[in-house]
Amino acid sequence: MRSRALAFMLALAGAIVLSGCGEKEQVVVYKQGKYQGKPDSKPWDATAFGGDKAKWEASIRARNQNQNEYKRM
Amino acid sequence: MLVKKSDAVARRSGARLARGLNAADASVPGTLDRRSFLKRSGLAAGTSAFAGQLSFSMIGKAEAAEGKSAATAVEVKRTVCTHCSVGCAIDAEVQNGVWVGQEPVFDSPINLGAHCAKGASVREHGHGEHRLRYPMKLVDGKYKRISWDEALNEVSERLLRLRKESGPDSVYWVGSSKHSNEQAYFMRKFVSMWGTNNCDHQARICHSTTVAGVANTWGYGAMTNSYNDMQNSKAIFFIGSNAAEAHPVSMLHILHAKELGAKVIVADPRFTRTAAKADHHVRLRSGSDIALIYGVLRHVFENGWEDKKYLEDRVWGMDKIRDESMKWTADKVLDVTNVPDEQVKLIAETLAKNKPSTVVWCMGQTQHTTGNAIVRMMCNLQLALGNVGVAGGGTNIFRGHDNVQGATDVGPNPDSLPGYYGIATGSWKHWANVWGVDYEWLKGRYVSQAMMEKSGITVSRWIDGVTEKNELIDQDPNLKAVVFWGHAPNSQTRGKEMVEAMKVLDTLVVIDPYPSATAAMAAMVRKDGVYLLPAATQFECAGSCTASNRSIQWREKVIEPLFESKPDHTIMYLLAQKFGFDKEFTKNIKVVNNEPLPEDILREINRGTWTIGYTGQSPERLKLHMKNMHTFNPKTLKAQGGPCDGEYFGLPWPCYGTPEMKHPGTPNLYDTSKHVMDGGGNFRANFGVERDGTSLLAADGSHSVGADLTTGYPEFDHVLLKKLGWWDELTDDEKKKAEGKNWKTDPSGGIIRVAMKVHGCHPFGNAKARAVVWNFPDPVPLHREALYSTRPDLVDKYPSHDDKKAFWRMPTLYKSVQQKFKETVKDFPLILTSGRLVEFEGGGEETRSNPWLAELQQENFVEINPKTANDRGIRDRDMVWVKSPTGAQLKVRALVTERVGTDTVFIPFHFSGWWQGKDMIEYYPSGAAPIVRGEAVNTATTYGYDSVTMMQETKTTACQVVKA
Amino acid sequence: MARMKFICDAERCIECNGCVTACKNEHEVPWGVNRRRVVTINDGVPGERSMSVACMHCSDAPCQAVCPVDCFYKTEEGVVLHDKDLCIGCGYCFYACPFGAPQFPQSGAFGLRGKMDKCTFCAGGPEADNSEDEFRKYGRNRLAEGKLPACAEMCSTKALLGGDADVLSDIYRERVLKRGKGAEIWGWATAYGKPEQKPAEQPAKTGEKS
Ligand code: SF4
Ligand code: SF4
Ligand code: SF4
Repeated sequence: MRSRALAFMLALAGAIVLSGCGEKEQVVVYKQGKYQGKPDSKPWDATAFGGDKAKWEASIRARNQNQNEYKRM
Repeated sequence: MLVKKSDAVARRSGARLARGLNAADASVPGTLDRRSFLKRSGLAAGTSAFAGQLSFSMIGKAEAAEGKSAATAVEVKRTVCTHCSVGCAIDAEVQNGVWVGQEPVFDSPINLGAHCAKGASVREHGHGEHRLRYPMKLVDGKYKRISWDEALNEVSERLLRLRKESGPDSVYWVGSSKHSNEQAYFMRKFVSMWGTNNCDHQARICHSTTVAGVANTWGYGAMTNSYNDMQNSKAIFFIGSNAAEAHPVSMLHILHAKELGAKVIVADPRFTRTAAKADHHVRLRSGSDIALIYGVLRHVFENGWEDKKYLEDRVWGMDKIRDESMKWTADKVLDVTNVPDEQVKLIAETLAKNKPSTVVWCMGQTQHTTGNAIVRMMCNLQLALGNVGVAGGGTNIFRGHDNVQGATDVGPNPDSLPGYYGIATGSWKHWANVWGVDYEWLKGRYVSQAMMEKSGITVSRWIDGVTEKNELIDQDPNLKAVVFWGHAPNSQTRGKEMVEAMKVLDTLVVIDPYPSATAAMAAMVRKDGVYLLPAATQFECAGSCTASNRSIQWREKVIEPLFESKPDHTIMYLLAQKFGFDKEFTKNIKVVNNEPLPEDILREINRGTWTIGYTGQSPERLKLHMKNMHTFNPKTLKAQGGPCDGEYFGLPWPCYGTPEMKHPGTPNLYDTSKHVMDGGGNFRANFGVERDGTSLLAADGSHSVGADLTTGYPEFDHVLLKKLGWWDELTDDEKKKAEGKNWKTDPSGGIIRVAMKVHGCHPFGNAKARAVVWNFPDPVPLHREALYSTRPDLVDKYPSHDDKKAFWRMPTLYKSVQQKFKETVKDFPLILTSGRLVEFEGGGEETRSNPWLAELQQENFVEINPKTANDRGIRDRDMVWVKSPTGAQLKVRALVTERVGTDTVFIPFHFSGWWQGKDMIEYYPSGAAPIVRGEAVNTATTYGYDSVTMMQETKTTACQVVKA
Repeated sequence: MARMKFICDAERCIECNGCVTACKNEHEVPWGVNRRRVVTINDGVPGERSMSVACMHCSDAPCQAVCPVDCFYKTEEGVVLHDKDLCIGCGYCFYACPFGAPQFPQSGAFGLRGKMDKCTFCAGGPEADNSEDEFRKYGRNRLAEGKLPACAEMCSTKALLGGDADVLSDIYRERVLKRGKGAEIWGWATAYGKPEQKPAEQPAKTGEKS
């Protein structure tokens, strides 16, 4: 019983840490092909995605699941 | 400057990390870690060697051209990592014939995209900066470039001269576990046609004791389950295995199992990185495994934790093991192993109460004079617990090299033909038939039928084959030439004596992508008579390889052979031409541009290897699996739907019958809960049907699911088939071929088909496992002290074997050595043991030549306990001499750590290129020295061989350490 | 919107260095430059833990704050990049970085510092994506190929996770729940800000998943 409770508390702590990382809001502005004055393009502008941000994000999201073996086993 | 910088980095982040982690675990004091230890001590060497050569801001054009930007299409080739037996798949991106990128194969059910340092850096094989580029020969003590023609002519002339003068047994062929199945198989065939059994490969010195011990217990000498299947385990017991460093990606499955609640215990003289991930670490004295396992078994029996029904149904002779275990009382176990009874009981209880439980062992158990008995104790433990033939159970024996399992199965073994057929007349006739050659011709290649049927010398003893007195060896000539074909010299013990053997050889031939360690050792003691031939790597040819779990994967060729190198099977063919048996050699095999086609070779393997089920894995089926990896379940290895539906990944052997019979492969051996046509099975009937008046066959009612025979039964042959009235189920053609044959020699595969497909029976019979292997020196395993024991009191109680006269053609000493060195502890009070590092593999030439790996481990070292070090005035990072009773001494850096106990020191075995304190760089062929060189631990290891397989003792010997 | 981060799971990392050589391989990183390293504490004794460390792509990147020539920039996905054409190799960023990420390749016989190099989250640099120039200066741009960091994708035990923070959190949370320990993620507070007391204070963030 005790260990269950402990596990739960730890898990809860995990949840807090994970969702609650108080990241500072930073507004990254992309202007005329530049970030903060430095030229760069966006990853979805590359040939494979042709500017389709949604497609790129879908690709990244799918790819990310490869790091989760619980998806397959 | 950079040295300082990195130094600061390591410390800074280390300290911060320590803070971060210790917040959670404040009780543990921080100690220096091996990585920053080595960084600090070694970085200078690296930077001076590489100073300014490749700064990022001005990286060379050549590298830039390899970027993926250029317009030509990128081809993706699927291959498999060549560094260990896990068998991680790799997608290689090739552009214009250049290997430009490496992508993880998430689809692979074995590694799901994961790699350790070695696998994540294999693309370096496409650079090959430190490879041997062209054939060379030793002239006046220096290596000179020669052409392939010159090399083949001179090598073959020299060997043919020796064959004529001294007979075919005067040449020793050291084959390789790095060869593909096709190449390893070809090697055995090649050596047979040369006319000798004097061939061997790395399995001798890694798991030969396992193969012999395990096969003699229950049938096959292999890992019973798989890395994947360990996800089903509720408890995992590692002993003599450091999987986190030796088989890193196996930890993906193991840590997953642990996350789901499996208990993990690691028994090892060192607190290994695997131990760091375990629930418990048990520090046993090196070489005391048998005593420890008897202690565990005593607790099992005393508490009635054994599986009585299982023992009744499926095991023979456990009562004798039980009796022996009762002798191992707590105090005795403690005295021999240093392990207190609570810990022994903890192991027993954990394994017994968290079933299915599995055990893992590696070189820590096998490389002892008692290796064959140690591994049988592990089998007995698992049998007592009823854990064998069960998902999540079994004996998970992690093999070493990428294809050591395959090379053991079908490669150059001195005592058997491909498929463990043995070397008796019947076996020779079987293979002569498969090869399409006349048996009499084959026999004529040997000196005599007696020599044809006598086990050859083992790789562990080739040096004695050269230097032992002629009248004491069991063949006419001494060895005059040795061909090192994909095998490192520094992996064999008694290095100091090896150079003496190299000195007196007539001819030494080294065929390897990285022949440098052998080359340098030879050049140190010789002026001529050494030839180096550049072989292609496994990325430069196609072929299959067998992972530890018996799954066979097909590698596509990634790039063309670099420089002037040639694939091993091409070199075999070219030499066969010179020797005049190329026609017989490739009778069934198409040869294109001197390359015998790997697919054809595999088909020939398929046609002959019935015993262990290498018959169903046709190249077509294997390639289909490689393309459809995503359809296989990573827990069961079974394909769910798709073109391979119902099959297990890589058709893990045994995959019985013809490819057309569509056996799915066997994920877990001896599993009676499945039908034999779904990978089920039972223990093998290979040891007769009766012993001491009791039946060796399985008890009534114990059989694989759906078998028509519900009792134990012997193996199938034409007689049994007729008796059962099943003969007429063969086709007429099958009948013709099967007449007078058994399931192993019936070339039609009909006997197997009828037994399995029609009647659900196992062709090798259904018997009990043997807890007592009566044909071994210690039928009931006994603890015996190492020859160089640091406990003379235990030598009296547990002495070694009597000396043997002609054992694998060699006189082999036990008691006489042990007695001679009984008091060795006075001068050499520490146990010297060896093992792996994650960054390097085997002898290490290949991996130490890869800058991405070499940078991570730049120096060899000895791990020594703080107390032991302080008693000797040794401080961390001092240079020290490790002195051996053989008179050899090694100069290495001291890594003071509690990882080892006070009685033990540890040296990793991947280094070579230093000789007793001296860098051997001047002896290497120019440009082919590996980046990192260091003292080889085996220069200092001592005499000692297993009493069944001639495995060398590397894990328990004696030494002293002094400040340099 | 994807916010790229790393997590290294100390319960899983086995110090195999797969991540380190994956990075070397992917970007042809020269000897002596380590964009990623594995650090171990309590080496050889119970409590031994390892952790793979590289640039964490901080929310409020200290390197960016101290750079005298202002060569750093942050992309929309939260990746901290820099422009080697602007970098003067002064080394200030190295002292500012809490993770020791910036690396200075030795160029030339006198050990002069070259331009700073660090982990790019496999996102290249200012040059055109997947161009030869970009590869030469910064290595491959996997993000522009729709892939994630080579180090995380090849990690032997899937200890190292790299990608969209929300996805990583989910993956990590599932593991922590399964095993009941190892909830704290090392480095996150330093890189991405102090953990808040109440998760409820962050509704906008979690709802922002795109
Ligand atoms: S060495 Fe073994 S674990 Fe590492 S990548 Fe290669 S096959 Fe996988
Ligand atoms: S994200 Fe890419 S650049 Fe950064 S450490 Fe990983 S592999 Fe290297
Ligand atoms: S690859 Fe993964 S397990 Fe290996 S050192 Fe890196 S983070 Fe750790």
